[in-house]
Amino acid sequence: MERLPRGRHGLSAEFVARNQRERLISGLTQALYEVGYHETTVSLIGQRAAVSKSDFYKHFESKDDCFVAAYEAAIERIRERVLTACEESEGRSWEERVPDAVGGLLDLFDEEPALASIALVEGLRAGRGVYDRYQAALESFVVILGRGAPRPPVGGDVPEATDEAVIGGITSLLGRRILAGEGDRLSDLFPEIVEFTFSAYLGGEEARRIVSAG
Amino acid sequence: MSPARPELPREFVASHKRRRMMDAIAELTAENGYEATKIADIVRRAAVARKTLYDNFDGKEDLFLSAIDAAVVELRVAVEEGCRADDGSSEAGIVGGLEALLEFVAERPAVARMCMVEAISATPSSARLYDAAMRDFVELFRENVPPGGDLPETIEESLVGGVAWILQLQIRRGEAERAPDLLPELSQFVLSPYLGVGRVVNGGGRRDR
Repeated sequence: MERLPRGRHGLSAEFVARNQRERLISGLTQALYEVGYHETTVSLIGQRAAVSKSDFYKHFESKDDCFVAAYEAAIERIRERVLTACEESEGRSWEERVPDAVGGLLDLFDEEPALASIALVEGLRAGRGVYDRYQAALESFVVILGRGAPRPPVGGDVPEATDEAVIGGITSLLGRRILAGEGDRLSDLFPEIVEFTFSAYLGGEEARRIVSAG
Repeated sequence: MSPARPELPREFVASHKRRRMMDAIAELTAENGYEATKIADIVRRAAVARKTLYDNFDGKEDLFLSAIDAAVVELRVAVEEGCRADDGSSEAGIVGGLEALLEFVAERPAVARMCMVEAISATPSSARLYDAAMRDFVELFRENVPPGGDLPETIEESLVGGVAWILQLQIRRGEAERAPDLLPELSQFVLSPYLGVGRVVNGGGRRDR
């Protein structure tokens, strides 16, 4: 995020404050991506945001406080992107909507690997308070995924836990890749994630058929 | 003068105390979280002297990591045994392994919570232990799955991650004791990609419960 010009610039105080707050949020997100939660300090956040330490404390009580704000902002942006992708494919079948949603998510993560990292790795590392937010975020994706999900082609039922397990599986896979230092090319996993999702609902064979039919 | 009670072999007492300290930190972190758990609470719960704790461990984190390590080893042994059970088909093996996992969670809810929930956020080292354990269980799962044609290379990671997430939700809801109820659903979930949906019934048709 661009820092504002120094000195007299005729910008309103609220605008400056909001801009600073947003810079601090992306500063923290960036710092976490570089050094991880435990090594991130208020000074480092300030450096990345080009905001002084004393200004930091005008916006946040502590690193944790800023972290929670950054975490929520990250989740919100991710949810927005997925929902936008879903809206664009509104009215189409579940089998068509899944790749759009997964693609939207992975494109965002490729553009901003720091966002993927805070949402999928650092959020879990930060402790109990944030874990609830992580869980709530995943639950909201569970609802999106479950909407219009198919019944199995040959009798039997898709188990109730499938929606949740698929979301948990995708986020776990992405988190593990980020930890392995491959967070900047998550979109390479696009075909595998789509096929995994289909296979949980339709079986591996049917999943392969849909994926290769493109 | 003879001792008031018969003396137990020294190693027995020592390993029993280590075990009690590891159980204590599991219970306390499950109840209050890692951060809030103090050495004083641990020694009180384990009924050992403070000195005993420091004779055995470098401190709280070392004890915590040792407890996770020991639990993961036990869990792995139990799951491997479960995989070998029954008729030797890979379907029954997977269901057996999963059943062993769910029973472990139900029988030792505090330990399960320590390893699968608290470990992730407690310290960087405990998070690494969790990640390493996940890698091991992905490998174990991969060694035991039915042949599934050419499924994505990452399918096992996704499936094991999905199972872990479901268990984490169950533990955090305070329903670890009922984890075995999840066997039919989770068996279907992990086997669907290999066998097709709806082909696995009642947890793979294993023993009557």
